[in-house]
Amino acid sequence: MIQVKDLHKSFGKLEVLKGINANIKEKEVVCVIGPSGSGKSTFLRCLNLLEEVTGGEVIIDGENLTDPTIDINSIRSRVGMVFQHFNLFPHMTVLDNITLGPRKIKKMSKSEADAAALPLLEKVGLSDKASVYPDSLSGGQKQRVAIARALAMEPKVMLFDEPTSALDPELVGDVLQVMQDLAKEGMTMVVVTHEMGFAKEVGNRVLFMDEGIVMEEGSPEQIFDYPQNSRTQSFLSKVL
Amino acid sequence: MEAFLNSDYIKPMPYLLEGLLYTLLITFVGLFFGFIIGAIMGFGRLSKNKLIYGLSSIYVEIIRGTPLLAQILFIYFGLSQLLDINMHKLVAAILAIALNAGAYIAEIVRGAVHSVDKGQMEAGRSIGLTKVQTMRYIIWPQAFKRMIPPLGNQFVISLKDTSLFSAIAVGEMVYQAKTYYATTFTPFETLTMVCLLYLVITIPTSIYLRRIERRLDV
Repeated sequence: MIQVKDLHKSFGKLEVLKGINANIKEKEVVCVIGPSGSGKSTFLRCLNLLEEVTGGEVIIDGENLTDPTIDINSIRSRVGMVFQHFNLFPHMTVLDNITLGPRKIKKMSKSEADAAALPLLEKVGLSDKASVYPDSLSGGQKQRVAIARALAMEPKVMLFDEPTSALDPELVGDVLQVMQDLAKEGMTMVVVTHEMGFAKEVGNRVLFMDEGIVMEEGSPEQIFDYPQNSRTQSFLSKVL
Repeated sequence: MEAFLNSDYIKPMPYLLEGLLYTLLITFVGLFFGFIIGAIMGFGRLSKNKLIYGLSSIYVEIIRGTPLLAQILFIYFGLSQLLDINMHKLVAAILAIALNAGAYIAEIVRGAVHSVDKGQMEAGRSIGLTKVQTMRYIIWPQAFKRMIPPLGNQFVISLKDTSLFSAIAVGEMVYQAKTYYATTFTPFETLTMVCLLYLVITIPTSIYLRRIERRLDV
């Protein structure tokens, strides 16, 4: 589903990604962990070209994102993204947040888009919030709306950029539950997270990143219980 | 009643109100075009294209760095000479307000669009919207809300600036007052009324703007 080959990314002189290779299969849930500044968010953002790639290749669903002739908007509409700070549209109701993409990109009518959005709201447990504005929601509710907004485009892959890092601890559970349900339904997911419990329980594979490269990767058991790399060991000893 | 109507304060009113009509006409039409210019130049100032950015910046800096009176004379006399035309005074006045306010509005637009969290653009793009669609449906509505108070402020400023058109004999309020008291020798009474008429417009506008501002704050 996603092939990353020798991905490089620099901001000016600062090289953040120094050659990442990864292969993410359909229906796989890959969790990316690592210390802050290791480049894991940048890596994720390269997967839908929110960051311009400096070198290497990213191939999603057979299409090479680094090919300059590619229609990036069309690819982005098939790759859902959930941000740390939700980034809901504050001037639109919850329902309009979700239906904007389907209406403007898939050219659905308002009633079609609304009808398609309601099951999504139900899925994230917010059926009663359709007509309210994001301001009146808690952080956890906002993030669940953001997930529903991304799902409305019927993406083949979902990218999560530290989706629970900005939440109060007691609100994290609901968001993780929604993500877990999504994983069970067979969604392909790449999750940058500090929630080691989630990575262990839901992830099929864990990538440990540090200093712009993937230091170690393997099944959750391998990474969490038998880490081989000394950097992985020292990171895990601090967070677990 | 008769004494009141015949007082030196009330007698100039018909002339002043006629002037006020021109004052308002120039302000509204000038600001209408000023907003269009300002929106274009404001986006120019946000552009990554160096030529577009450069041209819009030169425009903004020239207008903001020179006095309005000089701009008015330049447009009315200077441009007329250069283009060898006989520019209508009212056209010159509207053009001057549009070009002058346009530069300040460009900065208002630039600031408001810039102030919208950059996560909003990313969220729009990540759904698959184009840059233009994201601007239109997500950034602009939020930015426009933030522009309302400073735009109202610019309205007040431009309204007062129209008084400078007395320099090219446009029949706005101050010019009407000057021609009136030149024959009646009642400048004190006449100009008192001129100021009151300005305040009748500017003070309610300011109060209204403050109310909007407070509402937008939440």
